[in-house]
Order: sequence, then C-alpha cells, then structure tokens
Amino acid sequence: MITPESLTAYIRRVLNDAAVSVTDRTGTMDHLAIQVVSTLFEGKSILDRHRLIYQALEEPLRDGRIHALELQAKTPNELTNNP
Amino acid sequence: MAEDPIEEEIRREIATHKILIYGKGTKTAPQCGFTVETMQFFDKFGYPYEIINVLENPAKREALTRMTNWPTLPKVFINGEFYGDTDVLGPMDERGELRPLLEKAFRTDVSHP
Repeated sequence: MITPESLTAYIRRVLNDAAVSVTDRTGTMDHLAIQVVSTLFEGKSILDRHRLIYQALEEPLRDGRIHALELQAKTPNELTNNP
Repeated sequence: MAEDPIEEEIRREIATHKILIYGKGTKTAPQCGFTVETMQFFDKFGYPYEIINVLENPAKREALTRMTNWPTLPKVFINGEFYGDTDVLGPMDERGELRPLLEKAFRTDVSHP
C-alpha cells in the first residue's frame, strides 16, 4: 500500500506541477486509479504521458507498494473541456 | 550483433497477429482482471485478436518491457505497433481514433489473401 501523499510526491518528482487524484479500487490502497493533470502533458501522446507516470512510479511499482494501476493523464485544458 | 532470440520471437508474433495482447492467462482462462478487461474491450469491435500468455515467462516479459518502454501487462499491439493498454485505447476510442486504425489494419487482408 501507499499513501496518496507519498504517491503524489513520486509523481511530482517527474511532473512538478501535477495535480493528482487517487481512487482506491479494492480498499487496500495497492490497486489504484490515478488521474494526473499537468501542463507537461501538452503536445504528448497518451502513450508517452502514461510512460512518464510509470517512470515516476517505478520504485513503488517495483517494490510492490502499488500492485495495479489505472491511469488517466490530462492537461488542464483537456480537463476543462472534457472533465 | 545477432538479435536476441526472444525479441525475434516477439517481432514475429506482432507481425503475425493484427491485434495481439500480451497478458496473463489465456482466452478461456484469463488470470488477471486487466487481461479480462482488455478482452472485453476488443470483443466490442468484433475483430479477431490473439492473447499470448507471458505469466510464466519472465524473460519474455522483460524483453517486452525493454522493447516498449512500458512496465505493465497487458500490452496491446495493433498492426505491429504498440498501443499500451485499455487506459490508452479507451481515450483513443472516445476520440474516434481506434475504429479507423482497426479498419485499416484488417482492410489490408484483401490485397494479401
């Protein structure tokens, strides 16, 4: 398991302006759905956006603190137009 | 330098199947919720897809991660290209980008019977 604060800190190491919301899918805080909003996603494909998030979370994914992840990566503009 | 035999095998597989899912388990006995979700996702479109089980094959999982720069399973390839998982394909579908891609992938069959 991982706390939302710790997870957000990992993501901000790579995406420093990220707004992160975390949903616990199983009540165990290791199967998570995460929405990340960052201006640094602008001009990047969804594939590359998700790669950045996986890169940021490499450590907790490797050591098992996170077992499964569902990702949503948006720019602030996309969030406004299509929340 | 000779190519890694596992990478060669993967390249052969992605060239053979228009929609290919590397996942955990088989079509009849999937062993991961995300693999099931991916199968259900493609069932909507009605095109044939193949699942290759890499649960018991850590060397192949590592090779796939290296080749795609993507750490998790399932991994989906369409027409030889890597498209991540349903978290990528879902938004692509919402934007109307996926159906044309699949139509194009399967249309080429006509000229190569």
